[in-house]
Amino acid sequence: MRWEKLGKIFDPSEHALSEGCTEFAKSPQALVFDDFVRIYFCAQKKTANGKYLSCPQFVDFNKSFNHVLRLSKGPVIELGRLGEFDEHGIFPINILRHEAKVWAYTSGWSRRVTVSIDMSIGLAISEDEGIYFQKYGQGGPVMTANHNEPFLVGDPFVQHLNGLFHMWYIFGSAWKLPDSDGEAERFYKIAHAISVDGVKWVRDGKSIVANRLSSECQALPTVFQTGGRYHMYFCYRSAYDFRQNKKNAYRLGYAYSDDLVHWHRDDAQSGIDLTVGAWDSDMMCYPNIFKCDGVIYLLYNGNEFGRHGFGLAKLVGM
Amino acid sequence: MAINWKKEGLLFDPTLIADRPDWMVSFAQAPNVIIFDDFVRVYFCCRPAPDAHLQFISYCAFVDLARDDLFKVKALSKQPVLALGGIGTFDEFGTYPVSVMQDIDGIVAIYGGWSRCESVPFNISLGLARSNDGGVSFKKYGTGPILSHSSDEPFVVTSPKIRKYGETWYLAYTAGRRWILAEDGRPEIIYKLRMATSKDGINWIKQNTDIVESKLGDDEAQACPDIFLANGKYHLFFCFREGLDFRDNRARSYRIGYASSTDLVNWKRDDSHINLDVSETGWDSEMIAYPTVFELDGSVYMIYAGNGNGRTGFGLAKLEGELR
Repeated sequence: MRWEKLGKIFDPSEHALSEGCTEFAKSPQALVFDDFVRIYFCAQKKTANGKYLSCPQFVDFNKSFNHVLRLSKGPVIELGRLGEFDEHGIFPINILRHEAKVWAYTSGWSRRVTVSIDMSIGLAISEDEGIYFQKYGQGGPVMTANHNEPFLVGDPFVQHLNGLFHMWYIFGSAWKLPDSDGEAERFYKIAHAISVDGVKWVRDGKSIVANRLSSECQALPTVFQTGGRYHMYFCYRSAYDFRQNKKNAYRLGYAYSDDLVHWHRDDAQSGIDLTVGAWDSDMMCYPNIFKCDGVIYLLYNGNEFGRHGFGLAKLVGM
Repeated sequence: MAINWKKEGLLFDPTLIADRPDWMVSFAQAPNVIIFDDFVRVYFCCRPAPDAHLQFISYCAFVDLARDDLFKVKALSKQPVLALGGIGTFDEFGTYPVSVMQDIDGIVAIYGGWSRCESVPFNISLGLARSNDGGVSFKKYGTGPILSHSSDEPFVVTSPKIRKYGETWYLAYTAGRRWILAEDGRPEIIYKLRMATSKDGINWIKQNTDIVESKLGDDEAQACPDIFLANGKYHLFFCFREGLDFRDNRARSYRIGYASSTDLVNWKRDDSHINLDVSETGWDSEMIAYPTVFELDGSVYMIYAGNGNGRTGFGLAKLEGELR
């Protein structure tokens, strides 16, 4: 793959965000319209106890991605009520069109006591072209921990292919304490589920992408089809010391598949890496690939998990 | 038709056992029964002393009662029948309640696993475990739950009771409807009785409806459904309470409710059928909860917990007449 970086296209500090959010534009994901591209992202606000809440919002760009047309004004989706799986934030939010509506699969966050959080996957549907999403059912998750996948079921990316819904997502395999005073650190891997209706999912608790690091966490897969093959980008990092240490921070990984079952990891072919001295010099994460007017684009975050916004790259060769 | 229960008295109180283990300091909650040749094994959930923050964890245990005299204790489990889960898992802080059933290849258990949350005190999902040593110890099926919150049941999936009729597994349980805040700001859970079916005990299809109407209105909490088949009819015993101020206020705490069904789908509630209430004084004078009904040597019995959600054990009542 050969990607041409188009640079950072959105900096949250230069815009008025909604929902009281002031920082971050994490996990950009695109929904293409005839004459503009809506990019959803998750911004954050600090709550009274000093912790962050992630709230989905969107920004509409012209199709050259050099002009912001508008930002979302109200909530794109409500956070959960007391005790619900998405009470403490929604991040990321994955968007797809299906049967004249816009569907959103969400990662809902719920804070725990001995570990920081748990995550489950929710579904919400928009009937106004993605301005507001109503949660499915009574607002509980459509996919959560099960006997094979004990916690941290999140980061959904859903496509409707050949009559079936396919979801690539992550689940947690372990919480581990790095040392006696450290916070528990999570391990998670990419998996695959299928569904007929997008609500009831079948999955088997298997990790589908080979590890590159000995203590590897894999996150936010994005899948697209070109050249007769399926391609997956995702981000991965070391389970330890990944926040401050550039060496252990998120990078983009790559795998390909001919059958949507077997994936061959081949990061050397990813065609994109850090840029020295740039906004993505230390970290690249939360990729989202979309097609717009025949061109394949890659949205992603750079340093500090998207604190300074997101950028774009364009596929220029294979 | 009245269903008359004659109270036989307190059957088992862990606090009366001087040499009990330190993980069984008090409580005998959510009793359920498996009948062996010469004893009746009653599974229940108990607690060690609370931690420095006055928080409890909960373990499953059993007591074997003599079949010919249920008031005679023959044996007590030497360790918890189920281990607590590891860090971050759904059952890290408790295994309560538990439901056990004799199946073809051993005893199967479905239990509520407790995790602790920041904004509310807990969440609960259901785990599956099996025993191959006659119910002394159980091995978990995976490290996560087999039934958990879902789009129509947003949290607190608990109070399981498994039954098998023909080839189908039935799970009566409780699902959280909402958390409401008490005057002191403490969140309290409102939950309703629900039902799911399965062909294998692992993959469950939720019915996604409240199976029994609420007598006390929207804020009625319903728990611990127990299904007993007699005379071609399914008899459902459960407990219910007011949404708030139910811990110490006798008038608002758990009572036993009743409903019946011929198809395990449509239930008709009629609490007036059941003649069993709190006593004037003693261990079940404030509440009666967690009913489980079984037949033994020609008689039908109910074991239920008393005051403080079973803090001082469970007792026995005997059916007078028949369930029709």
